[in-house]
Amino acid sequence: MRQEREAMSEMTEEPTSGPAGGDATPDPAAPATAPAVTGEPIIVCEGVEKWFGKFQALRGVDLTVGRQEVVVVIGPSGSGKSTFIRCINRLEPHDRGRIVVDGTELTNDLRNIAEVRREVGMVFQQFNLFPHLTVLENVTLGPRKVRRWPKARAEKVAMEMLERVRIPEQARKYPGQLSGGQQQRVAIARALAMQPKIMLFDEPTSALDPEMIAEVLDVMRELGRSGMTMIVVTHEMGFAREVADRVVFMADGEIVEAGTPEHFFRDPTEERTRLFLSQIL
Amino acid sequence: MTAVDPGDALAGLAEPVAPAPEPEPPARDLTPRQWVRTNLAASPADLALTVVFGLIAAYAAYRLLRWVFVTTDWEIVRVNLRQFMIGPFPSDQLWRPWASGYVLAAALGLAGGVLVGRPAPGGEGAGGDAEADGRAGAGAGLRGLAERFWPLGLGAVVVLSFTRTPLPTLLTVGLVAVFLAFRLLGARALGALRRFVWLIVAVGVLAALQVIVAGPGGVGWDDWGGLHLAVAATVAGIVLAFPLGVVLALGRRSSLPAVRLVSTCYIEAFRAVPLVALLFMGRYMVGFLFPTTVDPPSQLVRAVIAITLFEAAYVAEIVRGGLQAVPAGQIEAAHAVGLSQTQALRLVVLPQALRAVIPAMVGQFISLFKDTSLLSIVNFVELLTVAERATEQSAFRGQGLQAVVLAFAGFLYWVGCSTMARESRRLERRLGVGER
Repeated sequence: MRQEREAMSEMTEEPTSGPAGGDATPDPAAPATAPAVTGEPIIVCEGVEKWFGKFQALRGVDLTVGRQEVVVVIGPSGSGKSTFIRCINRLEPHDRGRIVVDGTELTNDLRNIAEVRREVGMVFQQFNLFPHLTVLENVTLGPRKVRRWPKARAEKVAMEMLERVRIPEQARKYPGQLSGGQQQRVAIARALAMQPKIMLFDEPTSALDPEMIAEVLDVMRELGRSGMTMIVVTHEMGFAREVADRVVFMADGEIVEAGTPEHFFRDPTEERTRLFLSQIL
Repeated sequence: MTAVDPGDALAGLAEPVAPAPEPEPPARDLTPRQWVRTNLAASPADLALTVVFGLIAAYAAYRLLRWVFVTTDWEIVRVNLRQFMIGPFPSDQLWRPWASGYVLAAALGLAGGVLVGRPAPGGEGAGGDAEADGRAGAGAGLRGLAERFWPLGLGAVVVLSFTRTPLPTLLTVGLVAVFLAFRLLGARALGALRRFVWLIVAVGVLAALQVIVAGPGGVGWDDWGGLHLAVAATVAGIVLAFPLGVVLALGRRSSLPAVRLVSTCYIEAFRAVPLVALLFMGRYMVGFLFPTTVDPPSQLVRAVIAITLFEAAYVAEIVRGGLQAVPAGQIEAAHAVGLSQTQALRLVVLPQALRAVIPAMVGQFISLFKDTSLLSIVNFVELLTVAERATEQSAFRGQGLQAVVLAFAGFLYWVGCSTMARESRRLERRLGVGER
């Protein structure tokens, strides 16, 4: 599967084989801190810093994510993983550094923020579905109000997305009538309906009962294989190993180590990474 | 158009293959005998309580019914009925309130019908109530309306029983007929009109006011009185105070310090002043603020402004409570799908906040309805003033008829309050407050 994807991305990237294109095939021997970017970069973060009052949550995060790449971010709680991905669609403004998403730099300019949010979908730990709207209305809200699609088109796309997450039969129900796993799949459909270029997942399975985790991970796995650019904060190491192109380990607000899953789980370079992995595996 | 209408596709999908019959929950129906045993006489002490309170209740009911139907001479109400309804409104201009009533009935009926024609929100959740409405016009719809508005109907019957000519009854029946006819029309003609509902209502209200107040040889605002005044002041107060209150609540949570300060000061200031004081200020001070060349607004307008300013402060605090109940994750999710700040507020936050505060809000409006009796302090002839003056008429003076007129005024207040309370509970059910 991964080979297919790389082959595909290589095909599409051929005309623009820049310096990033050279790294298309991850080299297990490459130093762990040199991220292996697949394809042309779509998210570029340079020296991102973020404070909450006097507490520094991010201490200069550098990360470049390529088009169609799946990056899994792991790390102990409080390490800044969630804060970091929330900076990418500006749910949190960063205090220093640069974040460029698909050519748009995130600044205080509201137009830029709106532009980025249109292209970036997000799935939250607590689902955050709109309880006063039906499933279908939840999914069509963004396309209708932000993309200004007519109702019929928005509903058609919404039904396609609901089929993709395998719950089209729940379209007329309210979120409160669904199980946690179903709600999270609706949340994924809601984000996908905007037809984003990038999907952010903030611990999407952490609030789910164990038997529902698989159904959500299945949907995410398919999404990754279909070529969606994804950044996933998760504690699901199985998912990381199977789907990630790159695993990023964060601790204390910085990226400690990044590399392919093979490198990462077989022989991590950093002591902190080893310690973390030994605690959770 | 695509080949498959998404709505149809959905309808098909929403109903999966006929499910296997599920086991019925154990029946809870009790025979009358069992019901009495469980609810009235579960133990000897229970039985004793039932008997004691049953006797007390029966005696009270007997005295009340006897008082209403046997002892009391309702002549005073019969004579003053017009005063109770419209106060000192000139009697040769009676066609004006009736005409405005018809305009309003047509506008509200049409709007109601258009709204009912909309598929009920929430399919299963909204329940049978909405379904019954969907068949408006049919017998079931009429029965539904009767069940829904029985206090209002009772009020109309009682009031009409005091009339001496058949004309008011005929006019009332005509009023209801117009309302139902336009409701049916609205329900049938849906779709096209749906987005203009508020326009219909606004035009209807303005036309009605025009008929009453201006028209050829119009009647001034200040002659309004009785039940008519109470209802008009309440409706005006709600319609004006509600949006102002929502704006103030949002202002109090604004990220702009100046806006926050102004809103907070307003709310705290107006909540600290009694309504009576505001009404006084409106009556006696507003005149000084206008240059002599300009006519200051009429007394009723001043009173409505005072009520609006006062109620808005309370509405703002109620709405603020609702806003605080909406989790931050909702706003984040709204932003994450790309909604702007305003869109997030309008489409995600306010609908949830307002629906959470319906009970408190309606409570506030019910108390506003009763507070219109304070208008007597600024010389309006409202319900209680009518009642008081009636007992001073030479035909009725010194006969201890206060209880009679107050009972009638109280009954009119009850009709208004219970209608509002019932409508609020219905709205809560329809919006599924407390279900999700």
